[in-house]
Parts: sequence; structure tokens; C-alpha cells
Amino acid sequence: MPKQIKNIKRITYSGLSIGILILLWQGLSYFGIIDYNLIPPPTKVFSAIVEWAKNGELFQDFFTSIWRALIGLIIGSIIGILIGFLTGRSEKMNLILTPVLNVLKAFPPVAMLPIFITLFGIGDFSKIFSIAFATIFPLWVNTHIGSSTIPVEFIRSARLMSKSELNIFFKVIIPASMNSIIAGFRISIAISFIMLYVSELAGASSGLGYQISSSQLAYRTDMMLGALIVLGLTASMVDFIFNRLIKYVFPWVQLNKVM
Amino acid sequence: MSEFSILVKNISVSYDDNLRVLEYVNFDVRNGEFIAIVGKSGAGKTTLLNTLAGFIKFKGEINVEGNIGFCFQNHSLFYWMTVAENIGFGLKKNGSEKRVIINDVLKKIGLLDLANKYPKELSGGQMQRVALGRAIAYNPNVLLLDEPFSSLDIYTRDQMMDWVLKLISEMNITVVMVTHYLDEALVLADRIFVLKEKKILREIKVPFAKPRSQAIRFTEQFQKSKQELSSLINQQ
Repeated sequence: MPKQIKNIKRITYSGLSIGILILLWQGLSYFGIIDYNLIPPPTKVFSAIVEWAKNGELFQDFFTSIWRALIGLIIGSIIGILIGFLTGRSEKMNLILTPVLNVLKAFPPVAMLPIFITLFGIGDFSKIFSIAFATIFPLWVNTHIGSSTIPVEFIRSARLMSKSELNIFFKVIIPASMNSIIAGFRISIAISFIMLYVSELAGASSGLGYQISSSQLAYRTDMMLGALIVLGLTASMVDFIFNRLIKYVFPWVQLNKVM
Repeated sequence: MSEFSILVKNISVSYDDNLRVLEYVNFDVRNGEFIAIVGKSGAGKTTLLNTLAGFIKFKGEINVEGNIGFCFQNHSLFYWMTVAENIGFGLKKNGSEKRVIINDVLKKIGLLDLANKYPKELSGGQMQRVALGRAIAYNPNVLLLDEPFSSLDIYTRDQMMDWVLKLISEMNITVVMVTHYLDEALVLADRIFVLKEKKILREIKVPFAKPRSQAIRFTEQFQKSKQELSSLINQQ
């Protein structure tokens, strides 16, 4: 199927599913099947978003949140990927680090937030580090699995052709683990936005998570749903940009897809 | 340089204390010679090849002169690299010198126009040709082939055999190939080792002059040799 037709098909299906959902929501509200005050209709939520944008707070909240989420995600990813390669490629490091990491992995990131606040104060650092903490583990597990299950033939042929372990690491081990790392990163994107919301509940004065909680306290469910939708769209946008970037930087990933 | 590319003395391989796969195997391979190793599944053919490449631990002595090129049964091309990048992986040269060698190999394997394709975009036969190209690109003295055509259909396999015959006649390279197909062994090899019960049961000199073509497969002598090999492998 030509690429353009494929793209039109994809956009049509996505637009249709979102359109149907909005129409259904509007209809249920219009006919009084769902309480207008508890769950306002899309038109009211849209008006709240416009109002939020007009007073300039939407962009401020958006940039504050995306900055926190991305910095946390980047820090968590770097740590998770590095540890993943260590435990995935070194038997000794696996024996030393995995028991500790397995315990840490079981800690609910939400429960770690007070510890980060104690350590880094109520500002941005505690939010960023709580996001980083939550994103380390999906990347550690995926990098570990990806790098420890590389077909032995890849390593054997690489070692016959190159004597440099650094060359083998960068040109064989990293790319051969890439599919697994990408999957881990996508999970971490979603987790980083969940943690963003949780971290902005405590001691924040701006951000999408803050807007959701403050609107809820003010009984502005239209604004709360609007902020929730913006948060969801932001997370989808990051995921979309990441996917585009992957297609551009690693074109071979696309070729390995079954669908 | 010695007369022999490979010298193997009394090698034994065990996967653990109880499972011995090879026992006191001895042989030598002259420079430029083509050896085929045949035998039933589980006879230790691939283990012997892996031992020669230094992939697994062994007892005994192995001397391999110069570099080794290895071509795996399932090609094992790096799927994140293009055809040209795969071929250039083992080259120590840089820049234009590297490009010249890559282009030379691409011409040899007849895939110059597919240089920028990824392995997933190639057919089985093309992938196997790239794998062979990658194995010979850095000019190894010894080429080890582990059932290189086993995943191909019968027509592609015949084409590949012709291509290997041509390639080998152009290069002075020592080859050790593991195969299940007796036709392949008889068409390509100078000597055939029949592996059985952890040892080389018999060594057979192929009675056809080189350069060869696949036409020898239809001669009476070929059928006789094939029969002899087959009964050696299957005898109790």
C-alpha cells in the first residue's frame, strides 16, 4: 500500500475513533444520561480550555510540566539503560546489582515522593527525581532483557571481525538491544506523566497536575477534565514525537515490525 | 608460511562432565584446500566448526594460520546495518579505502545495487551472499561455513553452489564447510570428513578434478561416490 494512502487511512481511523467518542460523550450529556454537573459535556470542557489559554496559564502550566517530565524521563532513562547494560552483559554485575534493584523496583514511586521532598525540598528537584525514579525500572528491565538475549551468533561474528570491545558494544550490543530499549522507553513516557501528576499534587503552584487538583478542589470539573485532556494529549505528543524520531534515527526498526 | 592452514591434534570437546561431543579428533588442512564435514544430526559437525573458530572450550591443540571468516547457518547479518555496512564491519580501513573494498566485495557477490538495503529487504539467497561477502571482506585465510545453504530452496541452493565454485576459484582461501547435503560436499570439496560417534570415521578424497561445474552431478562416478558416502554415514 502506498505510504500516502496508508497515512490517510491512519489519520481517518484515529479521527473517527476520537470523533465518535466526543459525539457519544456530548449525546450522553445532552440527553441527561450522565449528570451535566458531575461530567460536563465536551463543549463546556473545550470552553474551559479556551478560557485557560486566554489568561496565559495554559502555556505556563504546559511548559512547566513538560520540562519536569522530560528532564525526569531523561535522567531516569540514562540511569536505567546504563544499569540494564551492566546487569545484562556482566554476570558479576547482575549478581551484585539485581537483588538490590529488585527490591527498589517494588517500592511504589508515589511512596518515594516524601523522601525526595525531604532530600531535595518542595521545588522542582523532588518532582524531577520522583519521575526519574519511576522511569528507571522499565528501562532497566527492558535493557537487561534486550542486551542479555542478543543471539550468540551476533556476538561471535562480531568478535571474529573486530578486536575492539568498545566497537562491538556501540555497533552490535546497543543496536541489537534497541527494540527492547524502545519498548521500555515508551512505557517510561507514560509512567513519567503519571508521576508528573502525582508529584504536582504536593507543593506545586503551576503545572498540568497542579491545574487538575486545584480545579477539583474548586469544583471546576470542566477545567479539571480540560487539564486532564491536555495532560493526556501532551503525553501522546511526546510518544508521537519519539516514534517519529525513532523512524528517522533507526530506520531498520520499522522493517522488523510484523504489522 | 606453513603448508597447512589448519592443524588439529587430539581435540576433545565436552559440554559438561558427562556429555562429550568430540573425542580425540585429528586432521590437517592444506592452504587453499576445501574440506566438507558430513554426518548425521548430532554427530558434532557444528561443534567441530565452532571449536575451530575458537567459540568453545576444548582439550587438545588447534593451530589456525591467519584470520578466520565465519558464515553461520542463519546468515546472522546485523539487521540494523545496511548491506554495505555489514560488509565493512570487519574492515580496519577508513574512508575511501574502505569504500573501495566494500564495492569490490559487492561486485564479487553481485549485489552492488543493493548496497544501501537492509537485510530484511533481501531474499534468502541474497542474505546468504551478503553473509559470505562479509566473511571474506577482511581477506581471511580460513573460511568456516556452517551449513550456509540449508535455509535456501533447492533452486537457490544450486545457484549459490555455482557462485561459491566461481568465488573460490578466484580466491586462494582455505574452506571448511559443514553440510547435510552430500551433493554440495562432492561438488565443492577436495576432501570430505565423515563425522560419526564423536570422531572422524573416514576421510574421502573427492575424485573430480578442479575447476568443477555442477554437471559432474550427473556422472556415474558422482552417484557412486554419493552412494559410498551415504552408506558410511548410515552404517550401524
